[in-house]
Amino acid sequence: MTSLWSSVIGGFAGTLVMTTMTRSASEIGLTRMDLPFLLGTAVTDNRRKAKAIGYCFHFAIGVAFALAYWAVFEAIGWSTWWLGACIGALQALFTGSVLVNVLLPIAHPRMGTPDTAANDVTLLEPPGFLMLNYGRNAFLVTLLAHIVYGAIVGWTVRI
Amino acid sequence: MRTDGYAAIEDYALIGDGRAAALVAADGAIDWLCLPNFDSPSVFGALLDPKHGGAFIVQPSIPFETSRRYLPDTNILETTFRTASGIVRLVDAMTLPDGQLAPMRELVRAVDGVSGLVPMRWRFAPRFEYGSRAPCFTTRAGVPVAIHRTEAIALQRWDAGTEVVHRDEGLEGAFEIAENGRAMFALATAYAEPLVLPSRAAAQDRLQRTARFWTSWAAGLKYDGEWTDAVRRSALVLKLLIFAPSGAAAAAPTTSLPEDLGGERNWDYRFCWIRDSNFMIDALIRLGCSDEARSLFWWFMQATALTEPRLHVLYRLDGGVGFAERTLQMPGYRGSRPVRVGNSAVAQTQLDIYGALFETAWLYSEGHHALDIDTGIVLARIADHVCDIWRRPDSGIWEVRNGPFQFTHSKVMCWVAIDRAMRLARRGELPSHHLARWQAEAAAIGAFVEERCWSESLGTYTRTAAGEESPRADASLLMLPLVGYGDSRGARISGTIDAVIDTLKHGDFVYRYRADDGLSGTEGSFLNCSFWLVSALARNGRVRQARELMNALIGRANEVGLYSEEIEPRTGAFLGNFPQALVHLALVNAAVAIRESA
Repeated sequence: MTSLWSSVIGGFAGTLVMTTMTRSASEIGLTRMDLPFLLGTAVTDNRRKAKAIGYCFHFAIGVAFALAYWAVFEAIGWSTWWLGACIGALQALFTGSVLVNVLLPIAHPRMGTPDTAANDVTLLEPPGFLMLNYGRNAFLVTLLAHIVYGAIVGWTVRI
Repeated sequence: MRTDGYAAIEDYALIGDGRAAALVAADGAIDWLCLPNFDSPSVFGALLDPKHGGAFIVQPSIPFETSRRYLPDTNILETTFRTASGIVRLVDAMTLPDGQLAPMRELVRAVDGVSGLVPMRWRFAPRFEYGSRAPCFTTRAGVPVAIHRTEAIALQRWDAGTEVVHRDEGLEGAFEIAENGRAMFALATAYAEPLVLPSRAAAQDRLQRTARFWTSWAAGLKYDGEWTDAVRRSALVLKLLIFAPSGAAAAAPTTSLPEDLGGERNWDYRFCWIRDSNFMIDALIRLGCSDEARSLFWWFMQATALTEPRLHVLYRLDGGVGFAERTLQMPGYRGSRPVRVGNSAVAQTQLDIYGALFETAWLYSEGHHALDIDTGIVLARIADHVCDIWRRPDSGIWEVRNGPFQFTHSKVMCWVAIDRAMRLARRGELPSHHLARWQAEAAAIGAFVEERCWSESLGTYTRTAAGEESPRADASLLMLPLVGYGDSRGARISGTIDAVIDTLKHGDFVYRYRADDGLSGTEGSFLNCSFWLVSALARNGRVRQARELMNALIGRANEVGLYSEEIEPRTGAFLGNFPQALVHLALVNAAVAIRESA
């Protein structure tokens, strides 16, 4: 038995923990990955405002993904924290290999892509495959953060 | 024109698209191209290995003489071949994307008949992984394609002969070009994605659009003064060296062109040095390229985020910091081994880079935008770090390998770092709670430089602090008046400039130093030092002398206005990586210094 509202709360809590983990990893020099900043700069080139807007986006996306998790749990008829963690790991893999590596640079008006040439000027370097452009540990941090996110959603969705 | 298969460095011209760059020799050979990016392995590496490095040649099959130029205000190269039977023009460019389906990277070569009937030959011989891997040749829709793992290079040809001969691991062909005739080649490349084979019309259209882009970009340049052609050419070269996907600027597009023919001073410059940043931002702002300046500053703040408050000397163009130095099994330019990729200078301590970063931030703030709060907080942390470390010895701007020493230039640049931090803090762009400490440390650095880095007997600031080595001049000291240290027209700066002229200048050129640096062999004179001398003379009030030297140096560019890192004063031969951003930056800043001082 799962609850839609529980998944919303789980998504918010999971995003809170995930954001704290990735921010802490940046502060101790493990990665330059800053997803709220990347999301926010799609709207503004003011670095300060970008972070504030990006956090709002990030939480909205975190809740939206939690709803998707809830749909998966409903479809298969059960849920648990470790299943959520497994889906989180898959999500991290998708995020690192496709979402921010391919789709984000295409959609982001200020981010370069491997095809950006001299007739364009970008403000943000693309993350690259598994976000390796943002540090060797970037994907590891992202993977751990998403596993924790998934575990929280998987656990709270049953409450 | 070639010695043992090697063209002279000054015989090359650069074409590129902001992601990759090719060196085209005067005889129509493309001897250097790394794909898909500047810092990828070479597919044409004859520059470092004429036999097995790979090249793409288009030239008359009969004796010829050449002259070259860039089409006005573009990075499109035009080589004119004069033969006994006629004249042919070869136009080379790396095209820019136009929003249509196009190859990942595209290099177009158009052969135009000007007069007579000229027999031509072409040879397409790519070698992947710095010449170590021969391609597998196949055909796609009748187009020859060279394949290696996930890379593919297709050679489209139009009116360039029908027969293709497979010889010596390359493809060859011949054709004739008559007056008003045009043959075309398009090199279409793909990396980890399907090949796009362009049509002739599409390639031609992109070539024209590329020309239009360059002329419109150059039209936005704001410089208007003496040496306009040289400054505009430098701006165009610098634009080519900016890695567009990230905004970082490569020091040069080549690796291991030697500072000493046959020697070991061969380095990979396909990285972005923090040190170059303040010159680059300064030049870009002065030239009116504010978008590029802002992009570079954003890149720096992102790249340094991983390591701050410590800074790396250099960063990969994608912002990464992993680049172990290794040597390749290539003979090197005219036997200059080893050929290196990667750069171990990253492991060195070079304190001057902190000054470069702060000067960059200051120039950016002055010329463009106020710093945001988060950037200010990071810079304040770095300023605190400089206060902690400025007393340490380092490897210095010249990256000596027998150090560390107490280099005067490094101390002055630490002073610059703290001075600029204080200026920004007073404007409210940096947190000011450590201002008192910064003031005290800046004063301490100033006292150190004035007391321990000044030789009363020689009348000059010295390369290193007293007690490190016998006192001597160093070209890096020419930077002192350029970064605002001391009185630029005062006795101490004048004495230092005179000492550099007396001990390091040879003709029009300035050597970096005359001291052991832990490496064997000698080197040419660094051209940026000569342009720094121009700037220093101008700031010192000796404008006539500066102008004379500037005129002489402008005359030492190659046929298309490019400079390598060094020049051999006796012969005028170019040495070192080519073309080098720092030299062109120094040229721009020297021209501006004279204009402002006159």
